[in-house]
Amino acid sequence: MAHQCVDRAVGVTKRYDTLVTWLTLAPALALVGLIFGASVLYGLAQSLGYLAIIGETRLSLEAYSGLLAGRSPAGREFWQALGFSLWVSAASTVLAAGVALLLAVALSSQRRPVGGATLLALNLNLALPHLAWAIALSLLLAQSGLLARIATALGAIQAPAEFPVLVRDSYGIGIILHYVSKEIPFLALIVLAVLRTQGTAYELVAENLGANGWQRVRFVTLPLVLPGLAAGALLVFAFTFGAYEVPALLGVRYPRTLAVMALELFTNPDLRSRAEAMAISLLMALVVVGVAGLARVVNSEREGL
Amino acid sequence: MRRWSLFLLRATLYLLLLGPLAAFGLYGLSTRWFYPQLLPSEWTFEPLMRQLGSPLIQAALARSIFIAGLVTSLALLIGLPAARTLGLRRFRGRGLVLLIMFLPTVVPPLATGMGLNILFLQLGLAGSVAGVVLVHLVPVLPYTVFALLGVFARYDEGYEQQARTLGASWPLVLLRVTLPLAGPGLAVAALFAFLVSWSQYVLTLLIGGGRVITLPILLFSAVAGGNPTTTAILALLFAAPPILAIALASRALSGGATVVGQQY
Amino acid sequence: MQIRLTRLLALLALVAVSLAACSSPPAAPAALNPEDWAGVEAAARGQTVNWYIWGGSESINSYVDKFYGEPLKERYDITLNRVPLADTVDAVNQVLSEKEAGKDPGAVDLIWINGENFLSLKQADMLYPDWSRKLPNAKLVDWENPAVYLDFGAPVEGYESPWSSAQFQLIYDSARMGEETLPRSYAGLLEWAKANPGRFTYIAPGPGAFQGTRFVKGALFELSGDAKQWIAFDQALWDQWSPQLWAYMNELKPYLWRKGETYPKDENELHSLFANGEVDFTITQAIAGAGPLITEGLVPETARAFVFDDFMIGDFNYVAIPKNAPSKAAAMVLANMLLDPELQAAQILPENGFGLGFGIDVTKVTDAAAKATLDTAAQQLGDAATPASDLAGSLVGDSAGEYQTLVEEGWRTNVLIGP
Repeated sequence: MAHQCVDRAVGVTKRYDTLVTWLTLAPALALVGLIFGASVLYGLAQSLGYLAIIGETRLSLEAYSGLLAGRSPAGREFWQALGFSLWVSAASTVLAAGVALLLAVALSSQRRPVGGATLLALNLNLALPHLAWAIALSLLLAQSGLLARIATALGAIQAPAEFPVLVRDSYGIGIILHYVSKEIPFLALIVLAVLRTQGTAYELVAENLGANGWQRVRFVTLPLVLPGLAAGALLVFAFTFGAYEVPALLGVRYPRTLAVMALELFTNPDLRSRAEAMAISLLMALVVVGVAGLARVVNSEREGL
Repeated sequence: MRRWSLFLLRATLYLLLLGPLAAFGLYGLSTRWFYPQLLPSEWTFEPLMRQLGSPLIQAALARSIFIAGLVTSLALLIGLPAARTLGLRRFRGRGLVLLIMFLPTVVPPLATGMGLNILFLQLGLAGSVAGVVLVHLVPVLPYTVFALLGVFARYDEGYEQQARTLGASWPLVLLRVTLPLAGPGLAVAALFAFLVSWSQYVLTLLIGGGRVITLPILLFSAVAGGNPTTTAILALLFAAPPILAIALASRALSGGATVVGQQY
Repeated sequence: MQIRLTRLLALLALVAVSLAACSSPPAAPAALNPEDWAGVEAAARGQTVNWYIWGGSESINSYVDKFYGEPLKERYDITLNRVPLADTVDAVNQVLSEKEAGKDPGAVDLIWINGENFLSLKQADMLYPDWSRKLPNAKLVDWENPAVYLDFGAPVEGYESPWSSAQFQLIYDSARMGEETLPRSYAGLLEWAKANPGRFTYIAPGPGAFQGTRFVKGALFELSGDAKQWIAFDQALWDQWSPQLWAYMNELKPYLWRKGETYPKDENELHSLFANGEVDFTITQAIAGAGPLITEGLVPETARAFVFDDFMIGDFNYVAIPKNAPSKAAAMVLANMLLDPELQAAQILPENGFGLGFGIDVTKVTDAAAKATLDTAAQQLGDAATPASDLAGSLVGDSAGEYQTLVEEGWRTNVLIGP
């Protein structure tokens, strides 16, 4: 008898718990799910050619085939743009992650914890918005920029043309420089945080057992920080792949990144370009989701070991 | 040896921060500063005064602050309960919810903005501050939830339960136990949310339709306008608030604690 | 699999269509008759006119606020809301998006517009018709001039009202080069570039970057020997001359700045390269030549404008009213004010910040005082301007609108990306 009462009480509590659970999640889910979902749906519809403005209500895969098979003017550049975007994002991510890791390891392999002043400096760099930093880089690194003028004053060069092309170059060096310099603080802070909370004890043990510096990094530090670093790196990759402002400011007319191409097609007076613009943006999303998925698979394989 | 490398690192970081700000300052106070001049030869306060006094710029500054502030508040309001539930409870569908919240961080905001362009127009949200706030929440909310998730992952519900058994009501528990415990994490999440919303350009452009003018929109337009003086002044105006915000926050958060690190 | 896809697409279509159907029908346009000007002025009183204009030049922004904003308020009690655009196409997209969403009234009252943007809106049937020729000041406009009544080859009819005129010119730095060394034709330019490699570049032709397209078209005109044959669209003509155009551009390419691998995307970037000594020439469209740019601090004070002997494209630019404009009366009053002789005289002076040419025909002005003001202004363009006779001698009209895309896409494929 009492048993049944308890059972019923537990049942009610469970239902109440479930209700509370979903109530607390509802606003966030609704916002993201509905709005984001709607954008995907509408984007998909437009990419399939549904453009009420010019009376097009037929659906077709023309935008996609034009891009992927290279049949439209934009399509002829699609694969280069994809390659260029991947190159810029991957290079930025890998370089930033590598340097951030070295930085954080170097900083924290002391007996004292990392000082507040260093952390503050890292945080402040984080706070400088991307747009402002990109503008600063173009002012500093242009062939007639401030660094070039210093070089001229020192007699190293005679004319702007002799200064190396670091921004607005065809290899995306300016863009990569920007992202690397902005994302190193971000990733370094992540690694530092992990090391602070978990690192020192294991390191001390390893040192006591006779491991040298490099072995400690490889077998203790790296596995500890890898999950956090990988998560951060994925965010950096996704962000740099989809960003518009920085490649627009620091890049060139050709090759363009996919984001720049998509926005330029979207704002083209010829409205038929909109379908292509939407198709590109959806393909971009697919690429990033694919990379994220790959990262998850690799991660769970690693953990499975 | 380590001391020197640490010093060098800090010097580099501060140089990377102060260099641009100094460049902005020099460009902002001069005109016709061309190659190969090392320092400006024509100093002038006039553009600075004109920009600062311009109603358009003042409005843009106010609007940026308002939108970022509103987005941050809403993100915290909506994100905190969600993060708490996700962090403390294991329930069926948790993975799916996490996936849905995760997607906007990887899908480019460009895609979101372009897809929503027409829908928001039909809903009357395009060109309005409300629409911009709503669309800013799409990239901001996931970041907020994940930042707060970290807080609740290490959270000990015991404190709350103790307070309850001692007779405290739910609101009191929230105010006196939950918020202080989650405090640093909340501050970090809030700062991140503010920063992301503050720096948004493409979303504001696509949904605001050129009628909601925030600082990044003006700044981008200034860059297109090619006048380095204007660009520098606006860039300073744009970069100063977030830097100040983080400087203050880092001070307030238990001395020396990192902003990003709080979530781990 | 096939059936599921079709069902999914059908569902999507249903969603999209039902959402589109939910939009409100467009409201009937207000009955405004420009011939009853007193009525228009009365209707405009107290209205706000949302004027969407390119905001990339601060001096133009200040000029508009001062010379139009203030009188609008004082004389007509109209508030000017100048909406700066990064590119005029943004206003076009705004109107077109409003059309798709069925929004009437919309947000845009008046757009500073011409060329491809005008064509877009005309094709989408989103322009308010039949008003520009009926404005009181319309009698000051030379509507017989093909450069006025055709915009990129499309008839302006009553959709647009002129504001100012522009002509393609180049700018050099008199402190760096002497006038006698200047190239005076595209052929001469090629010679000069070969003698001075890396010191010249031009804006990349593309949507919104019409100065680049204009530069390339000028080369096309010179190669084919005659600009007038390009006023009407003729595919065969294009097929005949475009290979030679690309051959010329590709011959020029290795001697350009950065070996022609990249190009400035707009005039401000080019001005910056010029001012900082990376290249020796930049361009302008202003009748006041380099004057407005000097005033704005974008180029050195020794900058001067000049033209080749021929094939420097000139045209008019206009304002247009979208069909769903909320304050059409105020828009018309503003458009009329733009043609006011006093203000037209002010707009060409370099120190006022605008510097583009007349939109009206000076000979049609009957008021003696106004005519005197206009003539005086024309004498005061300053040293940085190209001499008026040179401008007139090299002036040619623009080509048919269809060539625009051909030139832009052709350049991208054949020159930028390369053979």
